[in-house]
Amino acid sequence: MSVTLYHWEPNANSGKPMLTLAEKGVAYQSHYLDLLQFDQHKPDYLAVNPDGTIPAMVHGERVFTESTPMMEYIDDAFPGPPLKPRDPTARWRMRWWMRFFDSYFAPSLSMIGWSIFIGPAARQRPAEELRAAIDRIPLESRRIAWRKALFNEFSAEELAESKRRVTFATLALERHLESSTWIAGDTYSLGDINGFNLGYALPLSQPDHCNDTKTPYIMEWLRRIYERPAARETWAKGRTQMAARIKILERGPRA
Amino acid sequence: MLELYTSEPNTFFLKPLIALAEKKAHFTTHYFDAANFEQFAPNFPSDLPASLQLEREGPLLVDGGAIISSTSFMLEYLSESVPGPSLMPADPYDAYRARAWAQYLGAHLGSIVPVLGCAKYLQPQLAALDPALVDRQIAAIEPVERRAGWRALRDGTYSTAYLESVAGRLAVPLARIEKALNEAPWLAGPDFSAADIDAYPMLCVLPDLTPAAVNARSTPRIGDYLARIAARDSVREALRTAKTAHPERHFVPGIEASRWG
Repeated sequence: MSVTLYHWEPNANSGKPMLTLAEKGVAYQSHYLDLLQFDQHKPDYLAVNPDGTIPAMVHGERVFTESTPMMEYIDDAFPGPPLKPRDPTARWRMRWWMRFFDSYFAPSLSMIGWSIFIGPAARQRPAEELRAAIDRIPLESRRIAWRKALFNEFSAEELAESKRRVTFATLALERHLESSTWIAGDTYSLGDINGFNLGYALPLSQPDHCNDTKTPYIMEWLRRIYERPAARETWAKGRTQMAARIKILERGPRA
Repeated sequence: MLELYTSEPNTFFLKPLIALAEKKAHFTTHYFDAANFEQFAPNFPSDLPASLQLEREGPLLVDGGAIISSTSFMLEYLSESVPGPSLMPADPYDAYRARAWAQYLGAHLGSIVPVLGCAKYLQPQLAALDPALVDRQIAAIEPVERRAGWRALRDGTYSTAYLESVAGRLAVPLARIEKALNEAPWLAGPDFSAADIDAYPMLCVLPDLTPAAVNARSTPRIGDYLARIAARDSVREALRTAKTAHPERHFVPGIEASRWG
């Protein structure tokens, strides 16, 4: 049974199944969707995922649209190195951190990212065109989020709260990695794949809060993941400056 | 030895009780009144994941040295670590569906149902207490995200218009559940699973909280589904842990609504 993955850049939710498939050694047919051209809301893709969210994976006849459970499926359904620890407590810890990344850390980080980088780039295009694109989004909750993102409708309070949460979550992660080699404990797992997709560019986007002095454990953890062949292979599929940010993780010449 | 820290068997607190009964597991119970701030007592188990858990208030499972929080993942933990029937489907696709439902319903029911329940039952209860005492209790809550859930109740944020808009957001998830139950008897497919233990406690209070949205005419499949689960021995056993006459009126703040809109 073939695997097809509909994805954007190796980044955030799209990068989660990309890196998981690469770690498992599963070959897949790649369909690149340009998020900023709203490819994910075009009829061809809505036929695959009527919600118009990315990524989506098709394995045989079955369609998968929730990226974190999708990673668990890839680990469960395919041979290759296991990406979940055996111990139930370590598995629970892996899932706890993935939820913290998905529901607390990522929404705040992406709000900042949209307000500073992606929103201004998208606003190069006529407002009429953007409004028409928003009208084609199937889910109301997604229409609200896209409207906020494209027209920079974040209030000063919302942005300040997102910045506070990003700083707080970065420190919580640093504290965790001080005593844990990987997210779940002693072994590399889906928790690291998830966290890497969220955080690989933190040293670039949050240089005051994530750097070798303040967060040495996060820096070392990110570099260790970056040096894995599966991460090299996955980020080589990136087409834009967004994915190229990963170069910040190159180790400099040692003194 | 498994130790469950739990309050009245409703919403998040009901889930592990059902799972433990399905497993016929032995465990000890530490009962606390979550509506009376007893989970903030100094000797209550706490660590970073427990205090930052996104369900905010909820049960804790202490197993040896580990404090297990977040009920959806607590169910998977119980499935994997306690002898007895697995609560997760064996087929990887059905297991995916169980996890995808838990994630989706956590965001879409877990953030809505506690608001509706707290507005109806907890808010009047808090209003009857000494305001200075309540203020002091709330001011001491950490972290701030957890404090905010209580503060909203205290400050009367839940206006009628707000509650109507919150209840309106139930339409999409309820329609999805209704559709899924048209296609299979249980949420993750042919068998009862952790997905149903996860969904039931959030759904079973809706006929009381929003009778216009959940009733025999508009959601017949959900009605039948709730009746099938309510009849299970595990659910009856879980409800026998109640210390009040109406555990279904016991609500505390739940998952925060999405900050993206």
